[in-house]
Formats: sequence, structure tokens, C-alpha cells
Amino acid sequence: MSEPAAQAVIGEHDRPPGDLAIWIFICAELLVFAVFFASYAFARASHVELFNQWQQTLNRDYALLNTLALITSSYFVVRAIAAVRENRPDTGLRWLLGALAMGALFLAVKSMEYAEHYSHGINLRSNLFFMFYFSLTFFHFMHVLMGMLILGVNAAILRKGGYTAENHRGMETGGSYWHMVDMVWLILFPLVYVMR
Amino acid sequence: MNDRSFPMIRPCTWVYLLLMALTFFTWLVGMSGMSGFGISMLVLGLSLLKGQLIGDYYMGLKRVTSFWRWVIVIWLLLPGSLIGLAFYLSYS
Amino acid sequence: MKYQSQAVAKPYFIAAIGLFVGQIIFGLIMGLQYVWGDFLFPEIPFNVARMVHTNLLIVWILFGFMGAAYYLIPEETENELWSPKLALAMFWIFLVAGALTILGYLLVPYARLAELTMNELLPTMGREFLEQPTITKIGIVVVALSFLLNIGMTLLKGRKTVVSLVMVIGLTGLAVFFLFAFYNPDNLVRDKFYWWWVVHLWVEGVWELILGSILAFVLIKTTGVDREVIEKWLYVIIAMTLITGIIGTGHHYYWIGTPEYWQWWGSIFSAMEPIPFFMMTIFAFNMVNKRRRNHPNQAAVLWALGTAVMAFLGAGVWGFMHTLSPVNYYTHGTQITAAHGHMAFYGAYAMIVLTMISYSMPLMNGRKAANSNKSQVVEMWAFWLMTVSMVFITLFLTGAGILQTWMQRYTDTPMSFMEAQDKIALFYWMREFAGLVFLVGLVLYIVSFFVGRNDPEAVVEEKATA
Repeated sequence: MSEPAAQAVIGEHDRPPGDLAIWIFICAELLVFAVFFASYAFARASHVELFNQWQQTLNRDYALLNTLALITSSYFVVRAIAAVRENRPDTGLRWLLGALAMGALFLAVKSMEYAEHYSHGINLRSNLFFMFYFSLTFFHFMHVLMGMLILGVNAAILRKGGYTAENHRGMETGGSYWHMVDMVWLILFPLVYVMR
Repeated sequence: MNDRSFPMIRPCTWVYLLLMALTFFTWLVGMSGMSGFGISMLVLGLSLLKGQLIGDYYMGLKRVTSFWRWVIVIWLLLPGSLIGLAFYLSYS
Repeated sequence: MKYQSQAVAKPYFIAAIGLFVGQIIFGLIMGLQYVWGDFLFPEIPFNVARMVHTNLLIVWILFGFMGAAYYLIPEETENELWSPKLALAMFWIFLVAGALTILGYLLVPYARLAELTMNELLPTMGREFLEQPTITKIGIVVVALSFLLNIGMTLLKGRKTVVSLVMVIGLTGLAVFFLFAFYNPDNLVRDKFYWWWVVHLWVEGVWELILGSILAFVLIKTTGVDREVIEKWLYVIIAMTLITGIIGTGHHYYWIGTPEYWQWWGSIFSAMEPIPFFMMTIFAFNMVNKRRRNHPNQAAVLWALGTAVMAFLGAGVWGFMHTLSPVNYYTHGTQITAAHGHMAFYGAYAMIVLTMISYSMPLMNGRKAANSNKSQVVEMWAFWLMTVSMVFITLFLTGAGILQTWMQRYTDTPMSFMEAQDKIALFYWMREFAGLVFLVGLVLYIVSFFVGRNDPEAVVEEKATA
């Protein structure tokens, strides 16, 4: 190819990028989150005042930072895979480490947010809104952790030269999972922090 | 290498900038305290758009003509509709 | 049978079937006691019959799992079992301990049994399904650990396959979670909380791994489909099991005094617990459709497919019906629960053990692949009689349960428990009748081991290859 890949990851015909097994896993996770989101929305419909009131107390600035961090992180993963595809694995590794750093930023900010809640005595049992808030965001947090673990493994393998321009399926697999984690947050953020 | 005299911006970078912009917009809506069915649906719709962009461009599904692209589309539309319905009910 | 030591499975399977018969007899006794309360009172009161029925169930299925492992693991790992002698020793220990326990339930008042077995040293008696004296429980742990040691060493020394790894993980989980039977908090809420760590995390957790791996094994052997395809399905199925079933434990935490968020978590996650069972059904039928050969043991294939379907219906569908907390609020502890429990346990665990026996017994008896036509026909009759009668048992109990829930809880003028029971007696009679048909099926099943023994093996047409 004479120009940079127009798209860093390209599914081949019928198959999405990466291992098919991760896509089954992605579907399963998406299903669980979808049910959770719908449950939140319907629970809210029966407790509108409560949800509106307590939603105001959430830190939207932290959430913005987190959303930007995850989007940036996903972007970095795409750039990393593009670099490897274009036979520049060192650059790829740097992008991947950047993605991990953004992920770590997400975890740090989220933890700070939780710490602030706890310091005000707010927790999972405080009320229905916070039950959902903590359940949803904690569940997502665990998936960010898992995604980072997977990307970490990708980075380790990349560092040892395990991925080539022709074969970097493992990175596509990890990347796909990471994008799923990002996508879920992109729904979670407006749903829980903004929509009222 | 291509012939253009200025550095080519990759499509994924355009998508990134768009995603950031949409996120800022959502945040601004939140800061303004705007509420109501209309603005909520706008924000929801934008988030579904963001999801589709991730699916198409970051997950590489744009060129995948099958089942998997539809999985993401349906995942965005179906829960999205349910959320929309729930919000609709909450305003009545 | 490729490895001599696989033969160790045979006594386990025979014991399993024997205990199964005992279980059904006591089930029938209770079924009659539902409508004729004084039947066998005071010699075998209902609560004693119940302990015997449920404990026999668990023990025969455990014998079945162990037999299945002793057959499957050597073949998968391509080496002989580490210690056939240990396996046989444990067989006798488990059988004798089990028999003594059941006799204890029957012959001695429970409180006296507790005294005799020194329960006060480490009290673990008195909880449903975990009624065994502490010494029996300790015996179970010893047997389980020896069993794990035996198959673990066999696995370590041999080829590691996905099927054998999933099976061993499932069995290890079974042993680990049983340890919670020893944890008996004074606080009633915590008592119940941890009780489910044995029961739910068994039947809606690690036992599904055992089920999946045995099913995969039988499908590999009878369809000839590529191992990689089957193993990939197995991974996906167990992933879904764990994703939905672990937090799905929360569907037992709705009303026992735990925080309200369990009603949400339990409903959301357990609603998805049918998914792995649905996948198992698609998986089983798909593999049989794509088979490369027609296997002479058609009975085993029937059992395998039947297991997937009945497990999905009983565990998946009937489970879903009462898993959401708003529904469960009304149906909790009613005959709906009994309906689900019977079909789920039979469909998933009884049937998978019978599937494995169906596949492996002929081979252990010296056949090349399958029993004679005559034997298989009788066996298949048994399959249909037991399975269809179980469906009817479930339907009758569901009818009873819906009426009970309505009359005793939902309506504006609720009746008392006993009044409602009186009204649904007809369903109990019908259930008992279906239960008798089940027993006929079970007897026929045993007969199938003895007919057509000297007849030649069944043969099938070669499958036309494309």
C-alpha cells in the first residue's frame, strides 16, 4: 500500500478484526450492559424526582475528563495498530503505552470520584439512584481494568516483537475489547450524568 | 507515499476530533442544566452516533458487511429505544 | 475402552443408578404424602422422606460425575488413571458412608443422630440438602480430595485438552464450594447467604462446567466433528455461565434480609442465565447435524440431545419464569419452585449422567461402539418415558404453583397455606401418576442393561460424505 491505511483496523469480509471468540465475549458484555442501562432508565421512570435530585450531585467535570480519556485511549489504540500494520512497531508500542496511560487516568479519576462520595457518606445503599450509579460505574470500572490487562499483555508481546505487519491479530483482539469498553462508557456518561 | 503537499489527516483522527466535540457538547448540556425529553433525546442520539462511529471506524466494522456490524447497530438502537421509551414515560 | 483403568467408572455408575432408584421411591412416597398426609407416618415422616430423596439425588449425581471423570479423563489425557486402587477404595468409602447416613436419617430421630455423630463439636447439621452429619461431610471432603488428586495427577501427566481442563475446573469448584457447607454463621441472614454459595454456585455455576464438558466429550465421540469446533463452543458456553451465574446468585438474595440492590443485580444477571443453556441446545443440535459419521450408539446421541433440550427448558425457561424479583415476590417457595427444580435437575444433571452411562457402559462391557439394537430400543423407550413423564410432572406442579400463588398470595383475599393446598390436590394426584410412569421408565432403563446382551451390536449406515 502506498498510503497509510485509510482505516487502521479492517475487518476481512465477514469477520471482524481480532479473534472471533473475543467478539462472542463482547456480545455477552454488551448484552449485560444493555440490560443494566434499560433497567436504569425504567427504574428512573418510577423515581424521576429522586434521580433528578441526586444526579445533580455527580461530578460532571470528572466524568468529562473520563470520557475524553477513554476516547483518546481508543484513538491511541487505533493509531498503535495502524503503526504496527505500517511496519513501525516501536511507534506502535508508544501509542499503546499512551492508551494505557489514558486508561490509568480514567481509573484514577474514577477512584477520586468514589473517594469523594464515600467521604460524604454516600454509598451503594444510599438510595436507588446511587445504587444504580455505583453498580453501573463499578461494573464498568472492572471492565476497564480487564481491558487494560489485555492491552498490557498486547504491549508486552509487542515489545518482544511478537506482532508483525502481517499478523497482529492479538492487538486487534485486545483493541476490539477496549473499544467496547469505551463504547459502553459513551452511553453511560450521558445517561447517568446528563439526561434529565 | 501520496502526492499531497500537506500532511494527510487520517480518518481515525477526524473521527477522534468529532467524538471529542460531541462529548464537549454533551458536557455543556449537562452544565447548563437543560432538561426535558427533547434535549435528553438529542444527547442520547448523539451518544448512539458516537457509539456507531467507534463501531465503524475504531472497531473496523464499516467494511464488514455481516452480522457483526448489525450486532453493534442493534445494540445501539434497541437499548437506545428502550431508554428513550423509559424517558418518555418519565415525562408523562 | 482405550485404557484399562477407565473400567473403574463402572461401579460408580452402577451405584449411581441404584441410588437413583432409591431417590425415586422416596419421591413417590412424598408425592403420596402430599395428598394422604398420614401415609407411612410415623415411621417415615415427610421431612425424613424429603431428606432421603434430596440427599440420594445429590449422592447419585456425585457418583455419576466421578464415574464420568474416571472414564473421560484418561481418554482425554491419553494415559491411564493415576491410581485405580484409590478410586475403588473411595468408591466403597463413599458408598458405605452414604448408606449409613441414609440409614441414620431413616432409623434414628434427627436430633439423636446429631448427638450420636457429635454434631456439637462442629455444628453443620440442620440445613436443607446439607442435613448430613458433620462426620459424613468430612468424609465427603476426603473422598472429593482423593478424587481430585487422582484425576489431577492423571491430567498433569497427560495431554491437556479443553474438555478435560474444563471438567477438572468444574470438579475442583464443586469441592471448593462444598467447603461452605461447614460455614454455619449464627446470624440467619448470613447463614442463608453462604448456603447459596454451596447450592447456587454448584448447580448454576461449576456443575454447568461439568455438564458442558461431558456433553462436549460425548459429542466429539459420537459425531466426529472437529475437536476445535466443539471446544470453542465449550469455552463460550462456560464463559456465559460464569458471567451470568456468579452475580446471578443474587436471585436468591431477594428476601432473606440482604440489601435491596440484590433485587436488581439478581434479576439483571440471572435473567441471562438461560443463555448458556440455549447455547448448549444450539451447540448439540448443530454438532449432530454437522456430524461426519453416524454413530452406532443412537441411544447416547438421543440422551445428549435430550439433555440439552430438557436442561434449557427446565433450568433456562422454567428458571427464567420465576427469577425476576417482582415475580419471585409472589412465587417464592411455591410449587413453581418445585416444578423448576425437578425439571432442571433431571434435565441438566440426571440426564447428563445417564448420557455418559449410555455412551460408556457398552464400551466398558466389551462392545466396540454400542449395544445391540434391542437393548438400545428399550433404552430409548426408557428415555422417552422418563423425559415425557418429567415434563408432565413439571406441568402439573406449574399448574399447582400458579393456583397456589394466586390463591395464597396475589388475590385480595388470600387463603391460608393449608386451604390452598387442599384446593390444588388434584394436581398432586396427577403429579403422582406421572411419577409412577417415571418409575416405569426407570425400571425399563435398568432392564435395557440386561436385554439384548448376547445380540450383535447395532450397526448404522455410513454417512455419505460430500
